[in-house]
Order: sequence, then structure tokens, then C-alpha cells
Amino acid sequence: MPLVRKPSAPGPAAVAEGAGLAESLLRGTDEERWAAARNAFEVPDGLALLSEALSREHIPRVREAIFTALAKIGTPEAASAVLPHLRSDDAAQRTASLDALRAMPAAAGRHLPQLLRDPDQDVRLLACEIARGLAADDAGRELIALIEREQNANVCAAAVEVLAEIGTSSSLPALARCGARFPDDPFLAFAVKAAADRIGSR
Amino acid sequence: MIEAAKKRILIVDDAALVRGYYRAALDDQSFEVEEALNGLEALEKILAQSFDLAIVDVNMPRMDGITFLRALRSRELPISSVPVLVTSTEAGAKDMAAARSAGANYYLVKPIGQKLLAEYAAIFCGVRR
Amino acid sequence: MADPSPLTSEEFRRLAEFLYRRTGMVFSEAKRYFVERRIAERMSATSCRSFTDYFAQLRNDERREVEELINAFTINETYFYREDYQLACLTTDLLAARLAAKRGRDAIRIWSAPCSTGEEPYSIAIWLLENWKEVDDYDIEIVGSDIDTDVLEAAAEGIFRKRALMKLSPDLVARYFHPLGDERWQILDDLRQSVRFSRVNLVDTRQTRLQGAFDVIFCRNVLIYFDDESRRIAAENLYENLLPGGFVCLGHTESMSRISPLFEVCRYSGAIVYRKPMELRA
Repeated sequence: MPLVRKPSAPGPAAVAEGAGLAESLLRGTDEERWAAARNAFEVPDGLALLSEALSREHIPRVREAIFTALAKIGTPEAASAVLPHLRSDDAAQRTASLDALRAMPAAAGRHLPQLLRDPDQDVRLLACEIARGLAADDAGRELIALIEREQNANVCAAAVEVLAEIGTSSSLPALARCGARFPDDPFLAFAVKAAADRIGSR
Repeated sequence: MIEAAKKRILIVDDAALVRGYYRAALDDQSFEVEEALNGLEALEKILAQSFDLAIVDVNMPRMDGITFLRALRSRELPISSVPVLVTSTEAGAKDMAAARSAGANYYLVKPIGQKLLAEYAAIFCGVRR
Repeated sequence: MADPSPLTSEEFRRLAEFLYRRTGMVFSEAKRYFVERRIAERMSATSCRSFTDYFAQLRNDERREVEELINAFTINETYFYREDYQLACLTTDLLAARLAAKRGRDAIRIWSAPCSTGEEPYSIAIWLLENWKEVDDYDIEIVGSDIDTDVLEAAAEGIFRKRALMKLSPDLVARYFHPLGDERWQILDDLRQSVRFSRVNLVDTRQTRLQGAFDVIFCRNVLIYFDDESRRIAAENLYENLLPGGFVCLGHTESMSRISPLFEVCRYSGAIVYRKPMELRA
């Protein structure tokens, strides 16, 4: 019979630790950096190492491993390490950053009020997605406040998208006012109506 | 009279309301619309069935629109040549250039009117409206 | 049970969007009654009086309600030759691709994780013996892993009831099982001895690492239940445990699109499978 059972599996590849880990993470081959990133989350200065590595890493799959490790750490400080990459010109980096924040909702949520007030409209827009992962009350409050003051229609649209899922009747007046502020935006009118319809049934 | 088969359009955007808005603009006699939430799902759908056009947003979870475009263009024919209209909140020349060099056929800045979208869809699918 | 109270169109849409976003599963209007029944069950189980309350619990994933709800929508039965279009893909396409990529005549390693009570790894074994022309030319190692030691014990024992064998022809049953009476069959000793079972939590990298590198991994109908963070970690673990060019098969309602961008998506004869690229920077 060609089916064979080996008594034990091949041993795991040795993974660098301590000073070796930092070396691998920052200066190793692609494979070494990937493996080191996967192990860095549980070493004492892992956060600092990962943060440093993230700022230098260009290979998407290695970056993904770094982001996963940061999400595993999951503290507000880990979220802080991710935040600057939301501003990246590289769409893949923005996506990976937001995904990492989505995987640590509590930590990311601590930064939400500040992100929704960021001077950069692209950051405010992406931050609306973070609200989706939080408890509806807190997130709803933040998003209602946002759409009352926000000058950028696309940012409002992003907030309305999330409110359609989490909003309650308390969102309705703000939604109506927001739609009225941008009478020439065809999508926002559609979105506000759709969100109000969803909410209206609650 | 022989009826032409409907042209198939894939709408790729992680916002449900956006997908609904585009669907409302396109779902009619000329077009059959399907949806995907991100670039990975879009790739899977395009591999499974043919499409005449993909309308793809940039910021999406797991795989953004630019990465999707590069992955699509690196495949074999006929998949690699599906026309792609990129949508984005970015109006900067840099972002348009990035989309173009990734292989976009066209680039529209949000918010996009439904009528305009339908016109562009018709052009890229080669239908008369 | 009384008829489940209907969901409004908007409630249905809100739920459908939530599930689509999270899992990729699509619930059209046509499935409305089916969905309402499941929601009614879950609302009863969680003592929620209104859909609004239930949806709030679901969003917060209180007491793993997302997993419970998805469970209610999926067929959880395991049986031999379940989703056999993937087994067909294995022998039609995947093994050929693996052999072309491998140098020398190393064993072909296949991982079934989770393996539950053994139907999947034994199905792979039987399928290969029955359908792969080159089965005698290569060593094949099949490993079955699960987090639950009870099911692993049962898998190692290899005793199955009629229901588990329902997709197998009487011919196959006669060839690979011996009847124990009392509507129970035991898989032949040769096959039992040739699958290695191990306890593994897919989210625990230390445990997954010990299983070595595989050519093909069947990881069906488990990732759909994990939260965001756990899915990412599990996907990375699967990636690490694949040889370059190796394949992962998920359950037919599952997709890496909700899980991880690490893999390349491939389509072979009617199956979507995921491949680890030859290099990290591909």
C-alpha cells in the first residue's frame, strides 16, 4: 500500500530568538523576516521591533505577517504603530493597516475619536470603517457627530454606510441634515435614504 | 429577432450602499450585474464566469483595487483583458497614474452619477443605448 | 414551535449584508423563509425579544453568537466523499501540479485539518487508491488533525455508521471496510494504520508547525467560524505549513477573500483552490 505513516513529522525550522530575532526581522531574507515577524509578538520588545520593521518592509506578505503580529499584541500602542500606515500613498498598505485595526477593534476603538477628526480626509474616511467593529452605541454617537460637522461628502458617505448597519432612530435627524447639506451629491442622497429606510424599521 | 445576450458587469466595492447604487443604475435590459466585496472575491468570480466589465473601487479589505488590477492583468487571456473602470475618492493625478499603470481602462472620481456610470458602462461593454 | 415572525425587508437586508460581509455567504430574497426560521431559533436560544436586540448581540459576537448563527446555516455533518468535487480536483489537477514542482520522489503529504471523526482523511486515502493512476508510484502521507481529542480517538478507531457511508457505493464499502454488525463498519486496518492523527489547534502556531510541510491541505468548513484575528493567524499557519506551490482547499461556501491575501487563487476543473506562491515576493 502506497499510503505511509511516518512515526513523527519533520521538526519545525529553527526560529531565531533574542538578538537573532531582531536581526532576522530587520535584515534577514524574505523568509527569515516572515518567520521572525510571526514570532515577534511574544518577545518583550516585540512591539518596538515590529513597529520598526513595518516602517521598512516592502514585501506585502511579510508586511501582512507584521500586521498580524501587531493585531495579536492588540494593545492601543500596537494600534498606534499601525495608524501612520493608514496615510500611505500605497493602497495595499492602507488596506493592510485597516485590516489590522479591524482585527483589534478594542485597541483601534480607543483612537477613533481622534481619527474622525484627523485633518486628512482620507484618514477620516477609512476611520469610519473602524467604527463598524465597535459597540453600536459608541460608534453610532461618533458617526452622528461626524456627519453633523463633516465637510467632505465622501467621508459622510462612508459614515452613512456604517450607520445603515448600526444606527438607530437617533441617527435619523442627523442623516437628514447631512443629506440636505450636499444637495448636489447624487450618491449621498441615495445612501441617506437607504440608511434611513434600514433604520426606520427598528 | 435574436436578442443579444446581456453584458455582464461585476461591481466591486466593499460598501453595500455603493453596490446597491451602481446596481440600480445598471440592472436593466442591457446589463446583468454581479457583486464582489473586495479584489480577491472579484478575482474568484472572474475566474469562475466571464464578465464584460469590472467596476472596481480602490479601498477595499484584504485586497485593494490596484493590487486586484495588477493580479488580473498578470493572468492569461481572456481573463487578463477584462475592461476595468476604477472608481476612487482620490482626484489626484498620482492616483490616476497609479491606476493607469496598473492597467485600468478608465478612472472615475466618486461621487459618480448613475447616468454617467451607465453611459461609461455602455461604452466599455460596446452596447448602444 | 409557532411560525417564526417574519423579518421586515430591511431587517432581512441588514442581516444578509452582515453575513455577506463576514462570510461571503449570499442570502437572496428566495431564502427568506429559511433565514427567518434560523433567526427565530437563535433568538429563542439567546432570549432576544426583538430582531434589533438579537442583531446587536450578533454584531458584538456575544457568547460567540456569530459562530452559532453560521452553524445554523451550514450543514455540519461529516461523511465520506463529502464535497468530492475537490477530491476529483486533487487527482485530476493538483497532484500533477505538485509532482511537476517537486524534485525527486519525496512523499506526497496531505493534511486534513480539521479531520473530525476521520471521514475526510480516510476519504482522501480511498479516493487516491481508487482514482489516482500513479498511486503506486509515490509514497503518500496523510495526516488528520483536530482540536478535539474525542473525535481523534474515534477517527483512529475508524468505526462508522451507515449515514457516514451514504455516498459510497456498496462496492467501495465492501472493499475498504469490514462490517462489525449492528449497522457499523470499520475501515480496514491497512488504511487505519496509514493515516496519522494528531491533536492540533489551527490557531496555535507552535502546534501547527509540528506537522511539517504539506503538498495539499484540506481545511474545510472551520475557518468560516473563526473571528477576524483567529482566521488571519490560522491562514498564516496554513501558509507556513505548505510547500511552495502547495494548495489549500476550503469548504465550498468559504473563500480566502474574507480571510487572507497570502494565497494565489486558482481555478481547476470547477474548483477554486488556493496556492502558496513559489516565492514570498510573488
